[in-house]
Amino acid sequence: MARILVVDDAAFMRKVLSDALMAGGHEVAGEAANGNEALERFPDVRPDLTTLDITMPDKDGLATLRELMTLDPDARVVIVSALGQESKVLEAIKLGARDFVVKPFDAERLLGAVEKALG
Amino acid sequence: MNARDALMRLGASTAEAIAKVLETIGGAPVERGEVTLLPADESPFAVLDVPAVAASVAYVDGVTGGNVLLMTQAGARAIAIAMSKKTGARPPAGASGELSELELSAVAEAANQMMAAAAGATSVVLGQEVEIGPPRTWVFDDAAAAREAFDTTPHATSTTFRVGGEPCRLVQLIPNAFVVRMTRALGEAGEALDAPDGEAVVDRRGLDEALRDIRVRVWAELGRTRVPLARAPGLPAGAVLELDRDAEDPVDLYVNGLRFGSGRLVLTEEGEWALRLLEVAGRGADDRDMEGAVE
Repeated sequence: MARILVVDDAAFMRKVLSDALMAGGHEVAGEAANGNEALERFPDVRPDLTTLDITMPDKDGLATLRELMTLDPDARVVIVSALGQESKVLEAIKLGARDFVVKPFDAERLLGAVEKALG
Repeated sequence: MNARDALMRLGASTAEAIAKVLETIGGAPVERGEVTLLPADESPFAVLDVPAVAASVAYVDGVTGGNVLLMTQAGARAIAIAMSKKTGARPPAGASGELSELELSAVAEAANQMMAAAAGATSVVLGQEVEIGPPRTWVFDDAAAAREAFDTTPHATSTTFRVGGEPCRLVQLIPNAFVVRMTRALGEAGEALDAPDGEAVVDRRGLDEALRDIRVRVWAELGRTRVPLARAPGLPAGAVLELDRDAEDPVDLYVNGLRFGSGRLVLTEEGEWALRLLEVAGRGADDRDMEGAVE
């Protein structure tokens, strides 16, 4: 079981991600609706893994990932993004994200990516 | 390629991308109508079945413009339920009446996924990354509120869909600059751009003057290959990817995503790479203007 921080601007997606992660035996240690919230919560939550959306208001996923990797170079991050954002996904991988999941996804794919990222 | 063709092409590629995502979410084919150009003097929201739910996503980088997905409350609820089923979540509560916050969020997320796919399709046409902003949702009780919510643009297209038996409409709000770039990207930079009603949108000379000082990204491309996205993150250092060019082939020169010509890589005296042009794409009267545009 891992402690996971879920970052997505859509309340619906946070719920979907949280439900799927909890059903897979993980603990959702925190949620954030944008990059600033995520960076604020990360030091307190100290998650084993963070799921990160790309398109978000205020601070998007890539900007958040950059700062997050500075905060904790060993942070495990799985990108959860929509189809059509492949180049952003590749940039995220270059920045240190461990894996990615394309929306709309099924729970198995999400859990598989999480397990892989946790190594 | 004129402005009307560019608008139709944009409308068609967007509608196709959106229909595919809707089909993935709903797990069933989606009925799709033809793309129609809306008259410039008519609001795209003049006729609206209220209460109407709108989800909008704007392009924020690369191009400007907006996409508004209009649907009935029942249609929005059908999308929210389909989104939940697709992801294995429990459908949001509230089987009738006003949409809950969670249902609206599900619709916004669906719009985000559709528009991201549409932006991807547009990126391919433009040869340049197109980014989208976060989605927004509204519930309109009258058409006037919808008209006030969105900026008017010189061009708009409309495409109808039917999702779960409910009507749904995509309105694309398109500024002139978008049409210009789309038309150029489709390969007819030398033509005067005509509006759908035949009125000139942009005078060619004015366009060139306006573009002359814009800094453009120029790069040389040795070759290409494709790998599955899933393979890319796992490529180890030392991996060798074969490209689609022979070692003796010229390299391509790109200007802002458009292939401009080809040439040979040469080394300058300072030891830096440079490109000696061998050929300019489609050299002719218009290409002299192209060269001027990148000086």
